[in-house]
Amino acid sequence: MGPAPTGEQLCGAIGEPEVMEPALEGTGKEGKKASSRKRTLAEPPAKGLLQPVKLSRAELYKEPTNEELNHLRETEILFHSSLLRLQVEELLKEVRLSEKKKDRIDAFLREVNQRVVRVPSVPETELTDQAWLPAGVRVPLHQVPYAVKGCFRFLPPAQVTVVGSYLLGTCIRPDINVDVALTMPREILQDKDGLNQRYFRKRALYLAHLAHHLAQDPLFGSVCFSYTNGCHLKPSLLLRPRGKDERLVTVRLHPCPPPDFFRPCRLLPTKNNVRSAWYRGQSPAGDGSPEPPTPHYNTWVLQDTALESHLQLLSTMLGSAQGLKDGVALLKVWLRQRELDKGQGGFTGFLVSMLVVFLVSTHKIHTTMSGYQVLRSVLQFLATTDLTVNGISLCLSSDPSLPALADFHQAFSVVFLDSSGRLNLCADVTASTYHQVQYEARLSMTLLDSRADDGFQLLLMTPKPMIRAFDHVLHLHPLSRLQAACHRLKLWPELQDNGGDYVSAALGPLTTLLEQGLGTRLKLLAHSRPPVPEWGISQDPPKHKDSGSLTLGLLLRPEGLTSVLELGPEADQPEAAKFRQFWGFRSELRRFQDGAIREAVVWEAASMSQKRLIPHQVVTHLLALHTDIPETCVHYVGGPLDALIQGLKQTSSTGEEALAVAVCCYDDLSRLLWGLEGLPLTVSAVQGAHPVLRYTEVFPPTPVRPASSFYEPLQERSSLLPRLDKPCPAYVEPMTVVCHLEGSGQWPQDAEAVQRVRAAFQLRLAELLTQQHGLQCRATATHTDVLKDGFVFRIRVAYQREPQILKEVQSPEGMISLRDTPASLHLERDTRQLPLLTSALHGLQQQHPAFSGVARLAKRWVRAQLLGEDFTDESLDLVAAALFLHPEPFTPPSSPQVGFLRFLYLVSTFDWKNNPLIVNLNNELTVEEQVEIRSGFLAARTQLPVMVIVTPQDRKHSVWTQDGPSAQILQQLVVLAAEALPMLEKQLMDPRGPGDIRTVFRPPLDIYDVLIRLSPRHIPRHRQAVDSPAASFCRGLLSQPGPSSLMPVLGYDPPQLYLMQLREAFGDLALFFYDQHGGEVIGVLWKPTSFQPQPFKASSTKGRMVMSRGGELVMVPNVEAILEDFAVLGEGLVQTVEARSERWTV
Amino acid sequence: ARRRKSAARGPEDCIPSPPGYAAIPIKFSEKQQASHYLYVRAHGVRQGTKSTWPQKRTLFVLNVPPYCTEESLSRLLSSCGLVQSVELQEKPDLAESPKESRSKFFHPKPVPGFQVAYVVFQKPSGVSAALALKGPLLVSTESHPVKSGIHKWISDYADSVPDPEALRVEVDTFMEAYDQKIAEEEAKAKEEEGVPDEEGWVKVTRRGRRPVLPRTEAASLRVLERERRKRARKELLNFYAWQHRESKMEHLAQLRKKFEEDKQRIELLRAQRKFRPY
Repeated sequence: MGPAPTGEQLCGAIGEPEVMEPALEGTGKEGKKASSRKRTLAEPPAKGLLQPVKLSRAELYKEPTNEELNHLRETEILFHSSLLRLQVEELLKEVRLSEKKKDRIDAFLREVNQRVVRVPSVPETELTDQAWLPAGVRVPLHQVPYAVKGCFRFLPPAQVTVVGSYLLGTCIRPDINVDVALTMPREILQDKDGLNQRYFRKRALYLAHLAHHLAQDPLFGSVCFSYTNGCHLKPSLLLRPRGKDERLVTVRLHPCPPPDFFRPCRLLPTKNNVRSAWYRGQSPAGDGSPEPPTPHYNTWVLQDTALESHLQLLSTMLGSAQGLKDGVALLKVWLRQRELDKGQGGFTGFLVSMLVVFLVSTHKIHTTMSGYQVLRSVLQFLATTDLTVNGISLCLSSDPSLPALADFHQAFSVVFLDSSGRLNLCADVTASTYHQVQYEARLSMTLLDSRADDGFQLLLMTPKPMIRAFDHVLHLHPLSRLQAACHRLKLWPELQDNGGDYVSAALGPLTTLLEQGLGTRLKLLAHSRPPVPEWGISQDPPKHKDSGSLTLGLLLRPEGLTSVLELGPEADQPEAAKFRQFWGFRSELRRFQDGAIREAVVWEAASMSQKRLIPHQVVTHLLALHTDIPETCVHYVGGPLDALIQGLKQTSSTGEEALAVAVCCYDDLSRLLWGLEGLPLTVSAVQGAHPVLRYTEVFPPTPVRPASSFYEPLQERSSLLPRLDKPCPAYVEPMTVVCHLEGSGQWPQDAEAVQRVRAAFQLRLAELLTQQHGLQCRATATHTDVLKDGFVFRIRVAYQREPQILKEVQSPEGMISLRDTPASLHLERDTRQLPLLTSALHGLQQQHPAFSGVARLAKRWVRAQLLGEDFTDESLDLVAAALFLHPEPFTPPSSPQVGFLRFLYLVSTFDWKNNPLIVNLNNELTVEEQVEIRSGFLAARTQLPVMVIVTPQDRKHSVWTQDGPSAQILQQLVVLAAEALPMLEKQLMDPRGPGDIRTVFRPPLDIYDVLIRLSPRHIPRHRQAVDSPAASFCRGLLSQPGPSSLMPVLGYDPPQLYLMQLREAFGDLALFFYDQHGGEVIGVLWKPTSFQPQPFKASSTKGRMVMSRGGELVMVPNVEAILEDFAVLGEGLVQTVEARSERWTV
Repeated sequence: ARRRKSAARGPEDCIPSPPGYAAIPIKFSEKQQASHYLYVRAHGVRQGTKSTWPQKRTLFVLNVPPYCTEESLSRLLSSCGLVQSVELQEKPDLAESPKESRSKFFHPKPVPGFQVAYVVFQKPSGVSAALALKGPLLVSTESHPVKSGIHKWISDYADSVPDPEALRVEVDTFMEAYDQKIAEEEAKAKEEEGVPDEEGWVKVTRRGRRPVLPRTEAASLRVLERERRKRARKELLNFYAWQHRESKMEHLAQLRKKFEEDKQRIELLRAQRKFRPY
């Protein structure tokens, strides 16, 4: 009998040796090749595990060569450390194009060139007469208004030049774009083509004709249109080779005007080139008001004229310096990981290259610098320079005819002029995009300065998608609402300038509005950039609203979130009117305690979770008031996950308040303990040691008020007992409090005797608390349960020398030495480390109000996946704490949602095998100590648990993960997290609403061999289930304090008792999985190893039977009897035992 | 399917059992279909090994299911002869478990799993009768129900509610005995003080408020450490030319070691494809 080895994840993993496989097991060719090359130097790591390096003395102390010394010196000067240098080199190798591929691309480019110049010409027609266009192709431009003067004819390009990063060698994989500029012959263009989109219409027609002819060529795998930099007036033609190279390269064709065709002075940002009369189809206003300038339109025309000069500039500056090119490549990776370079108005790789050129020309970067130094310098520059206020220019000439920087600041939000002094390279970049870049640069600089060990990983290898980077996210959907918003905001000149692109036109005013409204609650507001569409040549170009939705990300300031008040100016001040106008009907006059009468806005929020969602109220109010975007179009994603940690009956709070009440009660109790009179020794410390007391209990306790009719009273011990004929009573978990007593010579020096003395103290404590404070108490040998205000505390008396007494071993010579024993370690953990951890995390909660929510959501999820028993509470709390203490490359989460997503990311990507998770509580560990911990970890890896979490109090042993999880269970968690993360992110980023958010919390049940279904009647926490039942049983609680003051039923949870029995009886045959929060099913997984027939052994007959197999007597598990035992042991609790017989063969 | 057939054949057929053992089917109650098997054997040990269990009268039982208590086992086997005692243990153990009654306050009973039992009969005939037992034995019957599931948990909970008075009495008696023991030891030590042993050595102990350095490992390590530091202070560093040279070489060796380590790390990351940025 044994499980069929079908490819179940968990089933298959159980039998494997105790080594965890990395989440991304790669057997790449490159890796193999490289490792075989270097085998002589370093032993290849066995099974993906880092081994401590062993070098022979001769090798360590041999005479250094000149070359080696140079290399070491270079590393020291140019890079941060040798590891960083190697990492950077590896990364560059990964993103750079290989020579072989370059050759293939060059060949393709030559083909393209030949074909483009051979496209036949067409005779001249009116621009509006497009009948000559063949049927299979549509003009890639919205021709609104359609009527425009001028003629068009097609002639093959006068010149075909490759421009952009491909020539410079700074383009990075995976998507290689080669930009090709096609210079249109002068005959096509006429005077005044710069006016009223005429140039753009001709450009589009030019491409349409080209597309039609190239599409028929078998050389191309796909021919489609896209926009240049997302600018919808400037289509470009994308060509991809046919066959296996289709994904290798995309050639983009950009038509451009012949040099010196446009007069630059006509295209200054103050000039108008789109006439209102033409654009709006009405005669110019009679009052003779000047035409509004069209800076963006002008820039787009100018961009086409400057393609070649930019290339020349870049190649002269970057041409020979490999370090600079490396730097640009690194910067591109940096931008891409932060999703800053994509979409319309992104901070593109071209901009970064120009920025590097600027820094070289201002001598901030030297050409001999390494890629890492270039990256650092550029980030430093970005972090400290605000281009929205102080623009920069590459132009060196002091020609008085050139416009001033101030003119550009007037027209654009971000200013970075090119060498001509007329073209703003950052014209499309919005202020919030730039601020986001700046913010990221600042974060990265602090990360680099902190000398963190894995800085490279965090800086360049960790993606920062919007949903994981921002606390709250909101989607505006459908986008067509923004058109109305533009009209409401009176943005007609901007629309005219943007050629009708209402999304771009509205973006700036919209973000400014929200930034102003959110004020102190906001750290950063970012918006998604509309993606650049691609479409087939036979289709019409996509409309502005087709880009789906506009997503805004809010990074919140936790300290600003606590206030429900928006304080305005005093009523008689002139600013009051402005304030009233801004906030509309929400603004009201209020009299404050200091006697001032002010304008103010008050938001409704009672609980912490509601206060966190005030930005939602602000956003919907302001959008409805100022831009006519109704609430139904604003999909605010800030709290959908809150539902999972909300209490049973309150839907308004996520439990922070209830936890605070319990903590408050504990504070009272500790004061009582301190002041207790009559104890033989005084109390030296009272410390909490329960998840409630560090705000991480998933469901906070509620005061217990038992209904006496529901219980069997046991008057002589003043306790209540559960009754057989009633459903299981409510689950009450006592909160552990450790109470240290002062040391004294009177304590005995013998472990057994200390136990008895402690028991005497427990009894005395109960007596005194009852006498002096009238509290209901119950003492046992190890603890005293105290009922206070409906909360039950479990006080454990501790004597600080007891672990030491347990450790003492006397050697034969009479020398006393200390050796760790299981009992001493256990005691030390419970009475010393646990209280320390609890107080440290309690402190963390005061610093970061979102910690509680994140830790509880994380714990909830792990438990909902039925894995809660394998991970201690403390280990999960510490993982959650790591998200706050080491948030890089993010900032500490301010909402449970983003914290939970990062928890999933951390769990799914962390390499537990080779790294300890260092949680630097209270910042006690220095950088040197952390390095020491890491090297100690590597040396002792095999003796340590699979999951190692290091804290300042626990630097070596990882006490909270000592007893589990096993490698297989951890691997299962990693797999589940890796599946849950993209699913949840997709749900949250769906502009139509997240749908059923509980999907990722439902465990997969098909992997289990046996399912034991439990009766809800005896599950005390049935209502806490992920899918909360519509109806459950009465648990014997009153809503008002009742007359009964007997001790309620404590810690009575039949499923847990049942599981304990099951694990004891069948622990070596099977694993049991259960969700303690109201799970109705226990999953059982047979262990394949114990299903191998074994020879008879007296010590391992547990639950097995002897069978003759092939003439030999072997032992196999007695599965049928065991399945019936499941029902017997859980009589009354178990509903059915479902064996999935196909999983194990008889 | 073969399993089912063998069960259906009933206890008349010979149930496979390991050599030297007899198999007795055992079920919780009549309702159950399949049964577990007790593997029983007369308790015997090799020559020379000591065992506290009486030879010949003791039955050694393997694979006792978790719901089977000492009382029910005694009742089930009483048909073979008068049972003197039943002892359930987690593992086979030759020595009788310590007979002293362990305090139920300080050593609560563990949750039972599958156990082994030593059943001592009054007469040796009981053992042979038990070896021939056919079964199936029923642990829980109408006349002698055994609690399981909810029933058991509720009664366990009721039992676990402590009686403070009993606890107090137990603690007091223990501490009295302990104090007495300590006092006796002290008296004995005092008596021995100054009295030479057979080789003529005299043990001297200092008593008083300020004890001498305790004889512990930690204390001796502390002393050694202090010595080492004292010596280190006297040493000159980077004074002689050879010291200079050596420290430079040491630095270089450190760098080399670090470089090797880093290379190994990179190797590993590359194998895991950790350099694919996206």
